[in-house]
Amino acid sequence: MGRNRKWIQTAILLAIVIVGAVTLAGGLFKGNEPPKVGARAPDFSLSGLDGKTHRLSDFRGKLVILNFWGTFCPPCKAEMPDLEAAYRKWQGDDVVILGVNLNESHVTVSSFVDQLGITFPILLDSQDEIRKKYGVMNFPTTFFIGRDGVIAVKQEGQMEPGFIEQNIKNLLGKGQP
Amino acid sequence: MRIENTKCECGHQNYAGTVLCESCGKPLYDDHGSEPLEMRYDGVARRSQRGNPTWLDRIWNFFSSVKIAIYLILITLAASVLGTVYPQENTFINLDPSTYYKQTYGTTGEIYYLLGLSHTFDSWWYRLLLFMIGTSLVICSLDRVLPLYRALNKQQIRKHPGFLSRQKVTLTCDIAEPGDQTSQEQWVQTMASVLRKRHYRVHTDGTALMAEKYRFSRWGPYINHIGLIIFLLAALARSIPGWHMDQYMGFIEGQTLKIPNTPYYLKNEKFTVDFYKPEEMSDKFRQRDLIVPKMYETQAVLYQCTSRCGTADPVLKEVARHPIRVNDPLNYHGFMAYQFDYKETPRLISVTPSLRNKQTGEVYGSIELDMNNPQKSYQAGPYRLELKSYFPDFGLDEHGQPMTKSNEPKAPAFIFTITGPGMEKGQPYLYFPRMIDKDTYRQDDVNGAVGQLLDLSVGSMEGVKIAQYTSYLNIRVDKALPYIWFGAAVSMIGLVMGFYWQHRRVWLRVDDGKLLLGAHTNKNWFGLRKEVAAALGKAGIEADPKTLETGRKTL
Repeated sequence: MGRNRKWIQTAILLAIVIVGAVTLAGGLFKGNEPPKVGARAPDFSLSGLDGKTHRLSDFRGKLVILNFWGTFCPPCKAEMPDLEAAYRKWQGDDVVILGVNLNESHVTVSSFVDQLGITFPILLDSQDEIRKKYGVMNFPTTFFIGRDGVIAVKQEGQMEPGFIEQNIKNLLGKGQP
Repeated sequence: MRIENTKCECGHQNYAGTVLCESCGKPLYDDHGSEPLEMRYDGVARRSQRGNPTWLDRIWNFFSSVKIAIYLILITLAASVLGTVYPQENTFINLDPSTYYKQTYGTTGEIYYLLGLSHTFDSWWYRLLLFMIGTSLVICSLDRVLPLYRALNKQQIRKHPGFLSRQKVTLTCDIAEPGDQTSQEQWVQTMASVLRKRHYRVHTDGTALMAEKYRFSRWGPYINHIGLIIFLLAALARSIPGWHMDQYMGFIEGQTLKIPNTPYYLKNEKFTVDFYKPEEMSDKFRQRDLIVPKMYETQAVLYQCTSRCGTADPVLKEVARHPIRVNDPLNYHGFMAYQFDYKETPRLISVTPSLRNKQTGEVYGSIELDMNNPQKSYQAGPYRLELKSYFPDFGLDEHGQPMTKSNEPKAPAFIFTITGPGMEKGQPYLYFPRMIDKDTYRQDDVNGAVGQLLDLSVGSMEGVKIAQYTSYLNIRVDKALPYIWFGAAVSMIGLVMGFYWQHRRVWLRVDDGKLLLGAHTNKNWFGLRKEVAAALGKAGIEADPKTLETGRKTL
């Protein structure tokens, strides 16, 4: 009787612990919180201005600069040429820049991109989904995502060319400590 | 270590912590007292009271305490109260919680946010509290119900005199000549049949009798607990991906939006609102000059995406259509859209201007320009209009270059390249749908010669589509809801069982012509006394209900 009782007691406690662990884990890793620096960048796929679908995880192993921008935002427009310059310079070193446009019409975006001669991929967040997923409230906002897929830097507001350069160097491990 | 002798004089071996012998009911402690016995759980040892606790037993014992359970409930209650002080984060449509609380509610708001109370009900500690209450419910119940079940399942008919005389309802009197075994047994049989008529289940053993009814009411609290556990598990199951969603979204009239994390798209086809007329309002309202909505409704269409989901041109299949009103949601297999709010947000949706020859007046055709996502090219008669640029909110930057000030079509401007008869090479053409912008930015002058030849304009208001309102919907998925209802129903059944029936037991024994009776119930003692007195009356013993109460032994 005593042994049997202990067995039942252990089984009940074990069941409770499992239920508890599952629910608590569910609460902790819900994934609805916007990612912070040091967190894994949430994966997404968006169709680009080129008509192709781009998936963030396709660039795993590369340094990804995720830039949220719109033509209605003057600082976004101002930093575009600097991003383009950085892209041209570092493209060969596995650096990718993804410009996520904030739900503007195709024509608006493409005329702007053509005018500036932007060559890095422009993605169209036509449902505002990725902006919400990343919790972007101010424009521009830029995420520097390391080779491991972890967000290293989050920058709100316009970036200076030196800032872009420094972050790329740091993340490529070429910068001075 | 203290070794307790838990063996009763009747020979039954009891567990440590037993108060009344499980077999004969003899009090194991306080043997010589005379005050009524503590009958809780029939005096059996609760599982947690048993000797030599291991660390496993200690956890068990912690959760088996009703005191701990009450503290847990109080803490959860307090947390829930705090969680309702300010609006929770998930009710925001487009706000940054890190600044919202400070700006709106000041320092207390900031503290509220920093403490994490702005998402109380999603927090790990709130879940932990619910989980601990659940554990406490399970263990408290098991700790009591199993020993109780065992005690009630094998009751001895002949109880110890010390047990009977110390019940709250008890009686002793002489009923026969000592030694008259037959008449004693006869009387017991009479009493048995009287009690059977009163729906008791009666067991006799010579001159001893035990009668019992409505034992099932003792299980009421435990069934109630099972219901609550189902309820809690269902509430916790909401964290399973896809089981629960609760978000608020704004839909401009005519707009189709993707519902995040689902394959669904929802379109607000039309929004209508009715206001109370002044004569329908009370004087107070009229004086305050309020505009009070009477009824508002969103004509909603739900689509399911079949391919190219999340892109600018997904393939959609209509799956449901419903006019959503307050308390009348769209429901598609558990996907619910409730009317939550609306706002007046006049906004241009599309214009349908026609291309006309300025000199001859000939109309070549009309094109429909969507303000959110215009096409790349249009055809109007022999003319082809290639859209080069689109500025929803036109303005000029510091260098005099065209730009858009926002992403909303407040002052839309279109730059076309027109090709057609007389302009094979293509001529730029600037078009402002709004008359005021057309004048401000001197459309005709900018267009020059082409502007002299061709005119793109809307003839009447019919060519202009305006969305007057944004409808805010609460989008919910709650797969746990049926289980929550089921748990609540089970819990209610348990409550009814426990509330409306009472477990009544009557024991008696006749020794040497002397009757000793004891009776016990878990509530409504008055009813029990009346019933016992009436039964005794039928069996030939006049007893006043009041005299049955302990401490009033007469006769």
